[in-house]
Amino acid sequence: MQSKILEELRKESGGEDLDLSWLDAPAAERGLRVAPAKRGLTLEDISTSSYGDIPAGTRNQSGRMRGAGARSDAQNMSTHWNTKAASWSESAMLLYEEAVQRQWSSATDIPWAEMPELPDELELAMSQLCTFLTQVEFIAGDVPGKYAPNISGEYFEIGLFLASQIMDEARHLDVFRKRALANGIGLLQAGPGALGLLLAQDLTEVASTLHLVGEGFVQSMFRMGEMFAQSEVDKRMFRLSAQDESRHVAFGVMHMKYVMETQPERRDEIHTYLDRMEGNLGIGSTQAGLTGGGDTGEALAILLGGGTSEPQLREGYMKLLSIRKRQVNEYMHRLEVVGLGDRRQRMNPMMAMLLDPPRN
Amino acid sequence: MAETETPDQEAAAAPPQFPLPPLDMSWAKVPTERPPKPVIGPEGFTLKLADAGAYAWAPDHWPYENDTPRGSHPSTDMGLAAPYTIYDKLEVWADNAADLYELAIREQWKPATEISWGTIEPLPDHIEASIDQIVSNISEQAYNSNQVLMGWLKEISYGYHEVKLYLATQVFDHARHVEAFRKRALSNGGGLGVQTPGFFNRTVYASFKFTELIVYMNIIRTSFLLALCEQGNKIGRSQADRQLFDRTANDLRRHMAYGIEHLRHYLLMGNDTKRRNVRTWLERGEIMMAADLKRDKPLREATILALGDTVQKGKAALLELRQAQLLKYTRALEAATYTGHDKYVTQSLREACDTP
Repeated sequence: MQSKILEELRKESGGEDLDLSWLDAPAAERGLRVAPAKRGLTLEDISTSSYGDIPAGTRNQSGRMRGAGARSDAQNMSTHWNTKAASWSESAMLLYEEAVQRQWSSATDIPWAEMPELPDELELAMSQLCTFLTQVEFIAGDVPGKYAPNISGEYFEIGLFLASQIMDEARHLDVFRKRALANGIGLLQAGPGALGLLLAQDLTEVASTLHLVGEGFVQSMFRMGEMFAQSEVDKRMFRLSAQDESRHVAFGVMHMKYVMETQPERRDEIHTYLDRMEGNLGIGSTQAGLTGGGDTGEALAILLGGGTSEPQLREGYMKLLSIRKRQVNEYMHRLEVVGLGDRRQRMNPMMAMLLDPPRN
Repeated sequence: MAETETPDQEAAAAPPQFPLPPLDMSWAKVPTERPPKPVIGPEGFTLKLADAGAYAWAPDHWPYENDTPRGSHPSTDMGLAAPYTIYDKLEVWADNAADLYELAIREQWKPATEISWGTIEPLPDHIEASIDQIVSNISEQAYNSNQVLMGWLKEISYGYHEVKLYLATQVFDHARHVEAFRKRALSNGGGLGVQTPGFFNRTVYASFKFTELIVYMNIIRTSFLLALCEQGNKIGRSQADRQLFDRTANDLRRHMAYGIEHLRHYLLMGNDTKRRNVRTWLERGEIMMAADLKRDKPLREATILALGDTVQKGKAALLELRQAQLLKYTRALEAATYTGHDKYVTQSLREACDTP
C-alpha cells in the first residue's frame, strides 16, 4: 500500500486513532484479479496463486479460511482434522459448482399435473418404493453433516460440496414423499432404515460406506428408473435424482482414490468397512441389500413386471435381478477406479456371483 | 447428466427360471391415511400441499428412534436406535419451515453465473482492500454457520422433516455466501483480509442446545449481517457488489424468519426455564459479538474507509451501521415475543454499537 495514502488518512480529521497496519503490511497475498471464464467465476478459477495451495497438513484450528491473514490471538476450535487426506476430493470444486448450476425444484420441475391414474397395485407399489426412498434419502445428508465441523477452512471446498449434497438429499426426501402423497395412496410401510450409515467414524469411512456402496447402489437403481417408472412424472423424478446421486458418488470415488494414493496403508481397514456393508460380518441388513430386498424388493418387482400375476412377477423379479447385477458391477467398477480392484476376491459370494468377468 | 437406461439385453440374459417368492403385499394393507389428490397451484406441488390431513401433524414428541417418515406405518424391526438427541417439537419447530423451504428453493442463486463479475472496475488500493476485508469477514462467518449447522442435522429426529429440509436450504445458502464473497475478494486486484478474532465463531461452535445455536446464528449474527448487507449499496462500488449484498440479504431474511418463528415457538410453548435460557444465551451471544467488534481493528477501519469519502464521514456511517444492526437485533427479538430487550442489551454490546 502506498505509504502516502496511509499518511494522508492518518492526518485526516478523525484519522488519528487509525492503525492501518493491516493495509500497510497485508497478511494475505494481494494482487489477485481473477476474471470469469466460460462457466462464470468458479471455485477452480479462484483457487490460484497462493490461494490454490492446498496444504497436505495444517495446524489451523482457528476457523481461518485458506489464504486469509492470521491473528495470533484467534480462538482455537480444536476439532478440525489436520490432514488433507482426511477429507480431500480432487473433484469437490467442480462438483460443487455443478451442483449449484443443476439445482431443481420438486415443486415445479416435476410435471405433477400430468400424473396419470395407475392401476391400484402399481400405485401401491410406487408409494411403497417412495416410502422406502423418503425414509433413507436424508440419512445421506445427516452422515456427511456429522463431519462438516471437522473440516478446516484450509479445505473449505469440501465443506461446500457436503452442503450441496445435504441440499440434494433434502430434495430427495421431499420429492419421494410428495410422490407417495400425490396420487391418493400416501405413505406405506416404513422399513428398518439406514441409520447404520451414521456409524461411520471419519469421512473415509463415509466415502466407503455411503458413497461407494449406499449411494452407488441407489444411483444404479435410479439410472434404471425407466424400467420401473410408470409415467413421465416418475421418469423425470428418477432422472433428476440420479443426476444428483452421480455427483455424490463421484465425490466419494475421488476421495477414496486420493486416500488410496496417499495412504495405501489403509487398504485393509477400508476393506473391513466394505465387509460390513456387503454383509460379511453377519449383520443381516445392509445398505446394499436394502435397495433390492424385502418390501422394497416386492414393490420393485411389481413395478418392473407391470402387475401381480405370476408371469408379471416372474418378469419383475428377473428385471430386478438385472438391476441388482448392474448395481454390483458398477460397484466393482468404482472399486477398480479407486484402486481397490482386489475387492473382487473378497466380495460377499452372494454379490460376487453377479459379477461379470474381469476386463483385461 | 446421468440418463436413465433400459438394459433389456441384460434382462433377457438373466436366468430364465427360479422359484418365485410368495406374493406378500402386507405393506399395501397397512393402516396409513389415504390423502386427497392435490390440486397443483401456481407455486407447484409444495410441501404444505403434499402434507395434507394427518400428514401435516407434527407431534409434540416424536416417538420413533429411527428414520421412520412421519405418516408411514412404523416397522416392527426398527433396527439400531438412532443417535438423535432432539425428539421434542419445542426444540426445533417453526410454523413457517415448510414455506421457507420452498421459498429458499425458488430463490436460489448461482454466484458463478448470476453475479455480473465483469462490472467490477479497479478501485483505489485502500478502498479495494477495505471491501476485501469486509467480504472476507462475511465469508468466514458464513463458513462457520455452514459447518456448525451441518453438524446439527444428525441431532434432529425425523418427526420434524420440514425443519430438517429448511435447514438444508440454510446450509446451502451459507455455502454460496462463503464462495461468493471469497470470489469477490479475489476478483479485483486484492485478496483476502485478516481473519476474525473468532469469539462469536467459537460461541456458535460450542452451543449446547439447538435453540441456543439458532439464537446466536439466526438472531444475533443474522441481524448484524443483514443490516450490513442492507447497506451494501454504500459499501459496494459496482453492480456486482450490489447484487452480492442484495441476494445475500434476501437469503438472510429467510434465516431470520426461521429464527424468529422458532424462538417464538420456544418461548410460547416453553416454561419460565426456557425464557431464562434465552436470556442467558442472549447475554453470552452479545458479549461475544461485542468482543469481536471491539477487537477487530482491520474490520472497523475497513468499514470506515469503505463507507465514507472521508474518515469523519466513515466514522459517522459506521456508527449509523452499528445502530442499525442493534435495532435489527432487538426488533427481531420483539417479533419473537421476547419484548423490551432494547433496555437490557449488555453493556459491552451497547458500547460496541454506541462508540464503534
